[in-house]
Amino acid sequence: MKIYDCVPGLEFDEVVDFEISPAWFQDATHSVPPWTPMFGWFWVNFCRHGMQYGAEKLSLPTVKGWDWRFKDGGGYLALLIVQDPNERKAREERFRVAIRPFIEDFGGMWRGYVDEIVGRYDKLKALNLEAATNIELLENFEETINTCRRMWEIHMYMMYGVYTAFVLFEQMTKQLLGFDDSSPQFHKLMSGFDNKCFQVDKGLFDLAKKAESMGLKDLFLSTEAANMKTALLQSPKGQEFLTTFDDFMEKEAGWRLERMAEINVPTWLEEPAPAFAVIKMAIEKGMSYNLDEDRKKLEAERIATEKEVLGKIAPEQRGWFQTMMKLAQDCSWFSEEHNHYLDLYAHALVRRSVMGVGARFAKEGAIDTRDDILFLIPDEVRRAGINPGMFNLRSLVERRKADWKQWCAQAPAPAFMKEGFTFEDAMGGLVGSMDPIALKVVVGSMPVVRPELKADLFGVCGSPGTVEGTVKVVWTEAELSKIVKGDIMVAPTTSPSWTPVFSILGGVIVDRGASLSHAAIVGREYGIPVVMNTFQGTTVLKDGMRIRLDANMGAIYILDK
Amino acid sequence: MDIKEIYWLDELCKDHNDIVGKKCANLGELVNLGLRVPYGFALSVAAYETFMEQTGLKEKVSQIVEKEINAGLDVDKEIGRMIEMSANIREAIEAADVPPGLAGQISNYYAELQKKTGIPDVPCAVRSSGAVSMPGQMETYLNIRGTSEIIRNVKKVWASAFTTRAIVFRIQNKMPISWAPIGIAVIMMIEAKSAGVILTVLPTAGDLDRAIVEGNFGLGESVVSGEITPDSFIIHKNDMCIESRSVAEKTKMVVYGPSGTTVEDVPAELCKESCIDDREILEIVRIAKDVEQHFGAPQDMEWVVDQRFSFPENIFWVQARGAKYTKKEAGKDEDYVIDLMVQLFRK
Repeated sequence: MKIYDCVPGLEFDEVVDFEISPAWFQDATHSVPPWTPMFGWFWVNFCRHGMQYGAEKLSLPTVKGWDWRFKDGGGYLALLIVQDPNERKAREERFRVAIRPFIEDFGGMWRGYVDEIVGRYDKLKALNLEAATNIELLENFEETINTCRRMWEIHMYMMYGVYTAFVLFEQMTKQLLGFDDSSPQFHKLMSGFDNKCFQVDKGLFDLAKKAESMGLKDLFLSTEAANMKTALLQSPKGQEFLTTFDDFMEKEAGWRLERMAEINVPTWLEEPAPAFAVIKMAIEKGMSYNLDEDRKKLEAERIATEKEVLGKIAPEQRGWFQTMMKLAQDCSWFSEEHNHYLDLYAHALVRRSVMGVGARFAKEGAIDTRDDILFLIPDEVRRAGINPGMFNLRSLVERRKADWKQWCAQAPAPAFMKEGFTFEDAMGGLVGSMDPIALKVVVGSMPVVRPELKADLFGVCGSPGTVEGTVKVVWTEAELSKIVKGDIMVAPTTSPSWTPVFSILGGVIVDRGASLSHAAIVGREYGIPVVMNTFQGTTVLKDGMRIRLDANMGAIYILDK
Repeated sequence: MDIKEIYWLDELCKDHNDIVGKKCANLGELVNLGLRVPYGFALSVAAYETFMEQTGLKEKVSQIVEKEINAGLDVDKEIGRMIEMSANIREAIEAADVPPGLAGQISNYYAELQKKTGIPDVPCAVRSSGAVSMPGQMETYLNIRGTSEIIRNVKKVWASAFTTRAIVFRIQNKMPISWAPIGIAVIMMIEAKSAGVILTVLPTAGDLDRAIVEGNFGLGESVVSGEITPDSFIIHKNDMCIESRSVAEKTKMVVYGPSGTTVEDVPAELCKESCIDDREILEIVRIAKDVEQHFGAPQDMEWVVDQRFSFPENIFWVQARGAKYTKKEAGKDEDYVIDLMVQLFRK
């Protein structure tokens, strides 16, 4: 028995797995830094399951989703491409039927799934973890597993369907109108839509306004975010504010983790310091919640662009073109909103349940501390779930913890490649799959280098506009506080919990990303320029540098050379 | 209701087809929908019958026809004799005096019309308004001014019920020879800056969300007949925004001449200009949408912008009917998008 596997059955194995695919790519967006074993188990099992479920339910003609492996805390993926032309044909027939509901009523489908999944979350939340019996805790844990799996099913089914429309729309704008998703015009068509993530941000800004109107401005300015709760409890006004704040955390904003794809940091509900930090920043930097205003402007601009675009389409062609455009636009807001209801919310509940079990295991002596549970996997939770006091799981924890520390210290492999197989071969395989998620999230467009511009760095337009400003390189959420109004944030990639800071940014540059990445979607909604896929932005650009960003051309100029 | 010989248009609606003919009933219906229709009045079928009876023409016409038939007239072959007979009848009608009672009424209505429009001797169109579809009955006399001229042209319209084809039609269908359910519309002439049509549907695409407005300078005939390329605007009916506009180079337009209409060159400085402004376009769409809602079906309507009046009093309506269009098959757009998606995966 190989009891040390983190994700039994899905650990990377060179001998067997190169037969399935000659190349396995690291999921750098989600699995850097390395996952803890518990979270890796959830992700690799169920993201994998969701993608294959989604691709199968839709019967995508060319791809059966992705296969995933776990290796040293990293997630590695390969596409399951349909090779047989006859099978593609048969899948195509089923696809015609399966995709129709998306075209007819995407919004209705999504609302139905939101109701379903939030209903499941509410059931999980109903259990008082501290008062629960061991059996109830274990049942809650099993139900959390099922909920997480269901979340990924909905996630990938919806994503595959709507991303297909996005890829199609981009291709049609290229053919009929001569622009693709790296053009400012394309981004204008995708802007001016509200979504749940923005509403949460708005709530935080509203709380900042409330704090000021309650005379708590000085307290917020003079107190560290980590001590805010204690400080607020000292005064009746502070307590009154906390009541509103806690209610908002419980109902809206609390079910999220700083890192979307990990459960080893507290949720905002457990540890509200990040939320206080946003409120503090809003007061300190005079951020106003201007999305509503901005959105009206963006919406007007979008409608004008829609008209302009439609004017170039023959009247009898407009019907289907608009149907397709609508779905592509749905895709844009869905790309952001799903994070709130799916990834962020579900993982917050995974953390809740896992920590509930961890606390019980520690209390009854199976492990030393609550957080040691992160170095176990569900099979081991089951082993000791009903009688934690009867099992000592410390040797497993110790060994895995040592492994994990080592993974964190080493640079992860960006890909595993069969001998003789090149990176270019592998990228070709991704593009050839026509997998819409691979195209629009993982690969993106390659920057076009325009020598005549004499720019220092090139990327791809994620949101149009030009701006000059000071570089702030940001690797983690903690570094967001160094940003002042007008700065240009340079990051490897951005996370949904970083969204509020977009309201003071002048522009954004990310190493990797495509038109449906977080930075692009949020940048469009805040109307700030975003350049993506620079690959080396975080290495070339340094804190304090003055730069000019021309997102329309994907060009970055260093001004103080 | 008691049947009158003359009605104001606003007393009429589509139910009055048999009383005043289709054209008058339709115009009345437009007025009742709240549309601005050129001011005018309608002579009913009863007015025609009064005229024919009191002047003795009814009997006289029958005699003329019977005499010819008794003399062995072959309706199908002797076209020359038929034409001659038709001319005789029409001459008799036009020569007869309208009975004083009826003439007095026409005179009173015309006087009232001058008051309504504020224009002395207001020029009018005198148009036939048949209650049933019959050959002939298409006469229209334009630019008619003054009571006696109005009356003279009313008689010409009545006489038009006795074209050769109309007489042949009645003989062959064994109908009373002087039976003609004919009404007459006497309506103020429009001084058209521009005119055209609106369809509250894109007819070939079957797109019910949009309307199309087409127009040209001058009268609407040039647009309706399709002889010129008109200015064309597509409007989204919900957003009320003009989504596309094509201002054509308009070389010819139809205007009123001394008698009837003539084709003229559009003045050089105007021919590349839009024949209506955005405000007028949107007002035309707004009104047409109301009519569409009233009838619950897409409409095909004719509008005229009168240069004597200022916006929005300058927009007049002369026709409204159900639009003919290709119904969009449900799900057709969706099918096409699916086809495209399938293609995407075939690359």
